[in-house]
Amino acid sequence: MFQQHRLGLAQAERARDAILAALTRNDNPIALAVADEHGQPILLLRQDGAPARMLLRARAKAYTAAMLGLDTVEFRDNHVKARERTLDDWGDPMLTTLQGGVAIRASGQVVGGIAMSGNTTNRDEALARIGLSAMGLLA
Amino acid sequence: MIEQLNVSLASARLAVDAVLKAARSNDAPLAVAVVDSSCQMVYFNRQDGATAVDVRTAERKAYTAAFIGRDTALWRLQILHDGRTVADWANPNLTTLHGGWTLRRASQVIGGIGVSGSGNEDRDEQLALKGAEALAQLAVDDWRTRRDARPIRDRSAVHA
Repeated sequence: MFQQHRLGLAQAERARDAILAALTRNDNPIALAVADEHGQPILLLRQDGAPARMLLRARAKAYTAAMLGLDTVEFRDNHVKARERTLDDWGDPMLTTLQGGVAIRASGQVVGGIAMSGNTTNRDEALARIGLSAMGLLA
Repeated sequence: MIEQLNVSLASARLAVDAVLKAARSNDAPLAVAVVDSSCQMVYFNRQDGATAVDVRTAERKAYTAAFIGRDTALWRLQILHDGRTVADWANPNLTTLHGGWTLRRASQVIGGIGVSGSGNEDRDEQLALKGAEALAQLAVDDWRTRRDARPIRDRSAVHA
């Protein structure tokens, strides 16, 4: 037996509310994904008018951040680009290097991933970080 | 051009909340998914303790209800009666597990809702129906409002 700290729906809902409140009129309709440490979704959301690909991307980004314990930008720069690898080397079709996925840590452990899609990749990551800080976890 | 009614994020959230509110403390943790008329996910919640299998199953139930335009339990009876199997559709997302309800408005399919996790298909179905009913009530309220200007009592307060 071992005991594990896991992300709950309550934290995901806190992130959801913070992100929806942070959206401005200049933002496109967004998609949000919060996943647990295995990359399995806890909360998925697609705003009216957001194309379905936005949520597919958000899911892939959250999955990547959670599974690897890396922000997707870190994964892209330090692991894929720096070592001249391609995504195929990981053999996992859900992995992505698109910016906007952020690993969620609590007490030093990776407990999940949060990701946004719909705007520029920079804005996606900024919004994901707003959600992350609203979860109120001590990294 | 055509006009297509579609489930909105607001109504998808209403449906998911109605399901979670209807679940009792002795129900196992649930995964609840709402997809739109194109079978694409709009809103999804997984309660603490529900598994990856429930995630996948809830999604597939909602997908099937929207794709086929029939509740998954009814569709199961129909294809059994017709002597078909799910494989005839050559679509790996389809399932006949109970617990997917088609969401309709003005006789158009606007989406689907799927529930998994209670450990009992029929309980999944019962709970998913609560979500579909919440949207149906919304439609009834809209219709009432158009005919009668008197305000409708706030249902969120009733459910709380």
